[in-house]
Amino acid sequence: MAELEYSSADDRVLVGAAQKGDTDAFEELVARHRDKIYARAFSMMRNEDEAIDLSQEAWVKGWQRLAQFQGESSFATWITRIVINLCLDELRKQKRRRTESIEELDEEAGGVERQMPAITTNPTERLERGELRQRIDRALQQLSHEHRSVLVLHEFEEMEYKEIAKAMDCSIGTVMSRLFYARRKLAALLADLKSEK
Amino acid sequence: MRPRLICACVLIVAALLFPVGSARAGSGDMNIEAQLIWGTNDTKPDSKLRPVGTVLSGKLKHSPFKWEHYFEVHREDFKANLNQEKTVTMSRNCVIKVTNIGNDQVKFQLVGKGKLVNTVSQGLPKGQLLITGGDAENSTAWFVVLRQVD
Amino acid sequence: MTSMTEEQQLRLQAFLDAELPEKDAREVAAWLAGDAEATRLAGELRNTRRALADFKPEWRVPESREFYWSKIKREMDKSAPVQAPAQSVSLFTLLRRILVPLGAVAVLALAGIITLHQVGAPAGHPVQVNAILADAGGYTYRDEAQGMTVVWLSYPAEKKLADSPSPDTLPQK
Repeated sequence: MAELEYSSADDRVLVGAAQKGDTDAFEELVARHRDKIYARAFSMMRNEDEAIDLSQEAWVKGWQRLAQFQGESSFATWITRIVINLCLDELRKQKRRRTESIEELDEEAGGVERQMPAITTNPTERLERGELRQRIDRALQQLSHEHRSVLVLHEFEEMEYKEIAKAMDCSIGTVMSRLFYARRKLAALLADLKSEK
Repeated sequence: MRPRLICACVLIVAALLFPVGSARAGSGDMNIEAQLIWGTNDTKPDSKLRPVGTVLSGKLKHSPFKWEHYFEVHREDFKANLNQEKTVTMSRNCVIKVTNIGNDQVKFQLVGKGKLVNTVSQGLPKGQLLITGGDAENSTAWFVVLRQVD
Repeated sequence: MTSMTEEQQLRLQAFLDAELPEKDAREVAAWLAGDAEATRLAGELRNTRRALADFKPEWRVPESREFYWSKIKREMDKSAPVQAPAQSVSLFTLLRRILVPLGAVAVLALAGIITLHQVGAPAGHPVQVNAILADAGGYTYRDEAQGMTVVWLSYPAEKKLADSPSPDTLPQK
């Protein structure tokens, strides 16, 4: 039987080997996708230590549930969903411990973002790519966990409203409000209309 | 069978060419240096603390640890007699127990707030470091660095 | 100040996100064609989406491959096996796996491989790590190049300050 060349093997081959108990194959999958999974966790948690812990926890859970993975999606998508759910669970736990700030309550209600006139300048035309990336990064940092999560799940994971609502255990209406608020706040920050914290 | 024999022969050759095990029987006492170190990304967290030496700093920076700066909080130099346990206080919360178990090996125990946290049995020939670490508040870290000195 | 209601704004957003049923989508498209304010808002929302589509942050795991994996592996070893228990790989099997592609150059490489696989064992002494506190998981990491063995203890965040031997104050001399 041919030896498995891990570094050049397709994900499906590695998953197949890992499902038979080959931890080396699983380690190759981890090495291959760890930055992506970490980045997803970091985009939601905005905390390096939490992102490391949760991404590692996702890998362990992925190992435990590997027998259930039947190839209905790519492996990367499957493990990404695991880390997203872990992040959402953690955010819910943190929210229970945290008292809501007045600003967060205002965010939930829509606040000034709902009322402000539309911004007509296009940030992708106006800003250099590097500066745009920095501004988006800073803007994401300023959103509440709920608003950031909705934005990440919709814009980066391309999830539909109802999928997001199910993942976040809220109504579709709440998803829509949070997404709207997050987008408008982002637009204002990119247009330099709001002072940064 | 043949591949195993071939592999065994290669192993023996390699072991002769590149001895990886110390054949020297370490006997007698060991002089040990223990440092309590704080890892942080602050350049000047506390004026009372001094940065660790460049050699150790370089090793820590080349490690997977993410901290940029390492400061010595406390240092103890002591003799670990053969088969005797030496208890050393590193800070108000941190006590270490080091036993020289012979052949350049130590048993290292970490006691935090009176509770035994961890035990490591490890070879500690000169030039090697044994580092135990964990998270501290504000995204910093503590380390206890153990080494055998002359 | 906008004259649009919140419901209109959210409906517009849903239209742009292709979340509306066909009939509702046609109604919004018709409304957009005749409403300047709605058109401006739609433009803003589209621009924001475009900016996010180009956003490719360079967030990477700030740990080496080995260190990151060592913590995962430790937890995996604690949990139940996936199907069959993981086969323990003898050193000979491992070496054969590596020797086959290396061929005749194996001798020099072999010494390095032996060293690499004596995890936590300078001078041939095995490492034994026993975490006494249930919460203090120890991850062992060996860096041959730096000549160091690291045992990293992970505490739950809430317990860090209470239980960890963190450097709090300098001892009184």
